[in-house]
Amino acid sequence: MGKSVQLPTGVRKRGLTRAQREARRAYMIILPYYIYIAFWSLLPLLIGFFLGFTEFDGLSGLPKWVGLANFKTFFSTNEYLILLWRQVWIGMLCLLFNTVFSFFLGLALNVNWRIRGFFRTTVYVPSVAAVSTTTAVIVALLSPVDGGLNKFLQTIGLEPIVWSYSQFWMVFWIVVYFVWRNVGPAAIIWLGGLQSINPSLYEAARVDGAKRWQEIRYITIPGLKYIAGYIILTGIISVMQMFDVVMFISRGNPYGKTDVLMYRIYRDGIQNFNLGMAGAQSIILGIVTIIFALMYFRLVARSED
Amino acid sequence: MGKVRSRIFLMLWLLVMGAVAIIMLYPFIYSALAGLNHKNDFGHIGSLLPIPKRIVLSNFLYIFTPNGIRPLINTVLRTAWYTVNVCLMAVLVGYVMARYEFKGKRFFFAVIICSQLVPGVLTLIPSFVMVSKIPFAGGNNWMGVGGKGLINNILMLYLPFGWNNLLWAFLFIQSMRSIPRDLEEAAEIDGCGFFKMILRILIPIQKPMIAVIAVNTALSTWNDWMTPFIYINKIQDSTLPAYVGMLTAQLQAFGERDYPKLFATATVAIIPPFLIFLFLQKYIIQGIASVGIKG
Repeated sequence: MGKSVQLPTGVRKRGLTRAQREARRAYMIILPYYIYIAFWSLLPLLIGFFLGFTEFDGLSGLPKWVGLANFKTFFSTNEYLILLWRQVWIGMLCLLFNTVFSFFLGLALNVNWRIRGFFRTTVYVPSVAAVSTTTAVIVALLSPVDGGLNKFLQTIGLEPIVWSYSQFWMVFWIVVYFVWRNVGPAAIIWLGGLQSINPSLYEAARVDGAKRWQEIRYITIPGLKYIAGYIILTGIISVMQMFDVVMFISRGNPYGKTDVLMYRIYRDGIQNFNLGMAGAQSIILGIVTIIFALMYFRLVARSED
Repeated sequence: MGKVRSRIFLMLWLLVMGAVAIIMLYPFIYSALAGLNHKNDFGHIGSLLPIPKRIVLSNFLYIFTPNGIRPLINTVLRTAWYTVNVCLMAVLVGYVMARYEFKGKRFFFAVIICSQLVPGVLTLIPSFVMVSKIPFAGGNNWMGVGGKGLINNILMLYLPFGWNNLLWAFLFIQSMRSIPRDLEEAAEIDGCGFFKMILRILIPIQKPMIAVIAVNTALSTWNDWMTPFIYINKIQDSTLPAYVGMLTAQLQAFGERDYPKLFATATVAIIPPFLIFLFLQKYIIQGIASVGIKG
C-alpha cells in the first residue's frame, strides 16, 4: 500500500496521456468558474454597452434603440457635464488632501519606538468599518438644531452654522470624512515605501556631508516615485467612482450643488428608472476611469522590469 | 544634549500622534455612546460627546432579539459563504493555472489581468437591469418581462460572484511560483490524487497566502453594504451594514429619526471587522503589500 508506483510521463492510463488528463482536469475546474463569473460580470458589461444606446424605463416592455441620443444629451446640456466636472474636482480635493496627509502620517510612523504599532493600528481602523456605518456620525454632528457641533459652537460663544445650506461646508465635510477613512491605508503604503529605501544610501549621503533636506530631495523623493504613482492612480480610479460619501453626508445638497456624476448614475439607474441615460453616463465615466487604470497598469508593468 | 533633544522630539511626536489617534477613534466612541441613549434624550444632550443621561441597553439588545437578529445572521452567513468560496476558487484555479499545462492557459491568465482593469461603474447599473430581468424568476416570463427578477430576493446575498474575486486567484498563482515543485512531485510518486494533494500538501504549505485571502475576503464581504442596499429593500433579508445604510439615508428625509437605534446598530456592525482587524492585522497589511507595493 502507498507504494504503487506512478506511471511515468506519457504512458497511457485509461486511454489518456498524462498531458491530456491534466488539460481535462484544468478545464473541468476553470471553465465552470469562468462561466459563472462571466455571467455576473461579463454579461452586465455587454448589457451596459447596449443600454447606453437605448431608452428604457426597466419596467414595461423592451428597451428602445435611440442611437447616440443619450450621448448627445450628455454633451449638449450643462446638466451632466457639470456633474462630471464636480465629480472631478470634489474627487481631486479628497485625493489631494488624503495624499498629503497620508504622506506626513507615513513619515511620522517611520520611527523605531515600540509604541508605533499602536498608532499604526489606530490610523488604519477607520477603513475597516463600512462607509455606511460611520457617515451617520457626521450627519448627527451637523444636524442644524440639535447637532453636536452647533451646540459646541454655542457653548464657546460662536454663532451656529446651518451647514447643509452651504456648498463649501458640505464639500468640506465630505473631504474630512474621506481623509479620515482613507488616510490610514495610504499612510501604511507610504510607510512601506519609506522602509524599502536602502538605509546605506542615507549613510553614504551623510558621509558625503549631505543636509537633511538634501537627503529628502535626492534619496527619499526619487525612492518613492513608484509608491506615489500607485497612490495617486488608484486614488483617481476610486474617487472618480465615489458616490457613497456624497449620498450619505450631503445627498447632493444644497440644491444639488454637491451632486456628482456617479451619484446621478446611481439615482437614474436604481431609483428613477432612466436606464438608458444611466447607461450612457456609465460608459462615459467608465472610459475616463479606464484611461487612468491603463496608466496604473503601465506603472506596475514598468516596476516589474 | 542629543538625548534631551530626542526626548523633546518624542514628547512632541506623542502629542501629535495622540491627537491623531483621538480623531481616528472619535466616531467609534461617539457611536457607542450615542447607542446607549434614550431616543427622547438624544436631541437634548450636550455637544460633542453624547454621554447618556440614562443608560438604555434596548437599542443594542434589540439586534439580538428574535425580531431583530435576522440582518446579523444574514451578514454572518454571507461572510462565511464568500470566504469559503473565494478561498476555494483561488486555490483550485490558482493551482491549476500555476502547475498544469493546457491549451488556452495564456488566455485564461489574460482574462484575470484584463478583468481587473474594468471599473465598477461599467457594471453597476447593467447588473441591476440584468438581475431584474432574469427569466422565470420573481414573476418574469421567458423574456424576462413582467416581474422583478431576483430583486428583493435573499439569494442576491449569496449568488453574485464577480471577476473582482479573480484577483485572489492571481495572487495565489504568484505565490505558487515561489514554491518548489519537489513536494508535489514526491506526493504524486506516492500515488497522491488531485484532491488529496490540495488538502494534504497545498493547503498546509500555502497557509499564509490562504489566510491573507480569507481575512481580506471576510472583511470586504462583511463591509459590502452596497450589494444588499441596492438589491434588497426588506430589512429582514438584508445585512447589518446595509441596514445601517438604509437608516442613514433616511436621516436626510422627512420623518422619524431614531439616532440611538442607528448608532447602536452601527456599533454592532463595526465590532466584528474591528476584531478581525485587531487580531489578524498582519494578514490585512500583507494583503495591501501583495496587491500594491510589490505590483
